[in-house]
Amino acid sequence: MAEEIKQEQAAVVPKRYIVPIGPQHPALKEPGHFEFTVDGEIVIDASIRLGYVHRGIEKAAESRTWAQVLYLVERVCGICSHSHGTAYAQTVEKIAGIELPPRAKAIRSIAGEIERLHSHLLWLGVAAHEGGFDSMFMYSWRDRELVMEILETFFGNRVNYSVNVLGGVKEDITPELADKLLVDLDYLEKRMKVYLGVVNSDVTFRARTVGIGQLNKEEMTREGATGPTARASGVERDIRLSRPYDGYDIFPIPMVIDERGDLNARFVARIKECLVSIQYIRDVLAKLPEGELNVKFPRVVPAGEAMSSVEAPRGELFYFIRSTGGQSPDRVKVRTASLCNWGTIVASVAKGHKLADMPMILAGIDPCFSCNDRMVVIRDGSSDSRVWTWEQLRQHGIAYYK
Amino acid sequence: MNTPQPLICLLLFPGGLFLIFASLIFDWLDRKLVARFQNRKGPRWFQSIADIIKLLTKEEIIPNGVNRAMFLTLPIVAFTCVMSASLYVPLFGFKPSYNLRGDVIITIYLLSAMTMCLGLAGANSKDRFAVVGATRSLTQLFCYEAPYMLALLIPALAAQSWKIDEVSTYASENTWMIFTSPLGFLVAFIGLIGKLELPPFDAPEAEQEIVGGSLVEYSGRGLALFKIAKSVELLVALSLIAAFYLGGIGNPLIYLAKIIILMVIIALIQSSMTRLRIDQTVGMWWQIGGLFALVQLLITILVRVI
Repeated sequence: MAEEIKQEQAAVVPKRYIVPIGPQHPALKEPGHFEFTVDGEIVIDASIRLGYVHRGIEKAAESRTWAQVLYLVERVCGICSHSHGTAYAQTVEKIAGIELPPRAKAIRSIAGEIERLHSHLLWLGVAAHEGGFDSMFMYSWRDRELVMEILETFFGNRVNYSVNVLGGVKEDITPELADKLLVDLDYLEKRMKVYLGVVNSDVTFRARTVGIGQLNKEEMTREGATGPTARASGVERDIRLSRPYDGYDIFPIPMVIDERGDLNARFVARIKECLVSIQYIRDVLAKLPEGELNVKFPRVVPAGEAMSSVEAPRGELFYFIRSTGGQSPDRVKVRTASLCNWGTIVASVAKGHKLADMPMILAGIDPCFSCNDRMVVIRDGSSDSRVWTWEQLRQHGIAYYK
Repeated sequence: MNTPQPLICLLLFPGGLFLIFASLIFDWLDRKLVARFQNRKGPRWFQSIADIIKLLTKEEIIPNGVNRAMFLTLPIVAFTCVMSASLYVPLFGFKPSYNLRGDVIITIYLLSAMTMCLGLAGANSKDRFAVVGATRSLTQLFCYEAPYMLALLIPALAAQSWKIDEVSTYASENTWMIFTSPLGFLVAFIGLIGKLELPPFDAPEAEQEIVGGSLVEYSGRGLALFKIAKSVELLVALSLIAAFYLGGIGNPLIYLAKIIILMVIIALIQSSMTRLRIDQTVGMWWQIGGLFALVQLLITILVRVI
């Protein structure tokens, strides 16, 4: 009898219905695998699997010279390439004990803010597209094109513009270029205000974003979120203010805070950040310090180690570098912003959102998949070995990607 | 009479080939308008036709785990439904090819049968995206169908006839129904957008969540037939609304003007809204759409009685 009841109970327990998203999926332009367990339309569980584009950049950095690594780390992420370059360069400069000329600092922060504009506009389009609002996608990407053109005029490239060299910057901002930039910034400011209006007032858009993926200040802090994702929940966390680098110590930048913590707040926070960036670029251009663009950087960096952070468009980008006094780094450790923010997705999923909200919640943290890719090994207690040989790593890779 | 007139009606004009080509051109118009509203260039005029021809020449893959007969029949049934529906509707400013008592109901029924086919096609599949898409398709069907049907019955009620032909004659002889019963027009028009699963009611085929919805496993001829069925449905349903609410049949030029105006409004709605979640769609239809349709129905009945 008891047996039968048990069997009946087993039959009643619903089968887990999993909707897989990725690694190839129209919602994700980058490879990542998500499994959403759904009960009807409501998502009850999620799991994330990353690491499809692991490129071994940290390891590759160890076999290149200091200058070569700069160009390598700029390719960790195509969108925040300047942030990676800056974080690397300033960490190495810290070890070498080199102080940048003020003009170089100012130009680095201007480049950083232009990059933020282009990254946020890109995100705005993608996030709106995930919600099925393609018009915003088309318009914001059209305006982003202007930012790309600015980058090309200033630094020679649309992506991977490579402003930095060790010990300074390599491109100058001439007064003619600055005048052109100011005109473009006026246009961008006008457009950003339009988007702010849409985000704040469009009925259908608000229906899809207000109260979705909401996390309060405590939850955000617990998940260790950074960048606009955290600031949209009222967490005051901005490297540009708490540990000013580059031009941010000479020219401080105001912090954008939103207390609501839902998707709509993330939209508002990022658009407002764009407006702040535009104003910041204007201010710095008006008071651009005179002087050299760079100082001579030695071929060999003295032994030592340092770490530093940069506020990338997605949040805190952290670099740790150790030198043994040779021509190339001994260790480069990168921790990207996206990696810190994944936890917030799992925390939001626990609140029982609809399947239709998932792409927007995913896009809400502005995930960058190539930034996330690293190998994680969890010790199961039975083995003590923590050092893996190359062959073991290779076997692990083959098994993982099979 | 030597010419087999019914056959021509069915196969060439106004039904059949002409209708298919015309509806593909209207499909292009829709795509082009949305593209222009979104500041894109949009496709060339023959793009929709080229797409269909390409699909028709492609191999049709029958996935594992589906009911083969159903998989192959559903597109044909869907296509047949809308093509039959087109016979009772005044297309291109001409009188309907056929009419019989109660063809309003038959047309609405045939148009719904097409959506049912879509739902079944998804449910037949083993693919998870298709199943979720089918669930959403059918959920959406249940929520917009009742208000939409009521909204199309209001002109019939006003004209005291169940014949599309007579209703549209009544509509052309009296004040345009859009002015006398604006709520009914609103519900019918928005219902049409829901029926065609166009944005903002495109949750059943939301590519960001469930790739392509019900039709995700269809390819080749089956997909082409479904696509044709959808674009014919757009034209047929638009013609029905134009005939009922925008002053009857008229002549081909006036018909064209009316349809294009409706298309522009549909494209504008498509490009200016975010996709609604399925629960929001259901809520909206039952709370607002249903109420509007009922109120309009009540007003129409009262006016009739008094």
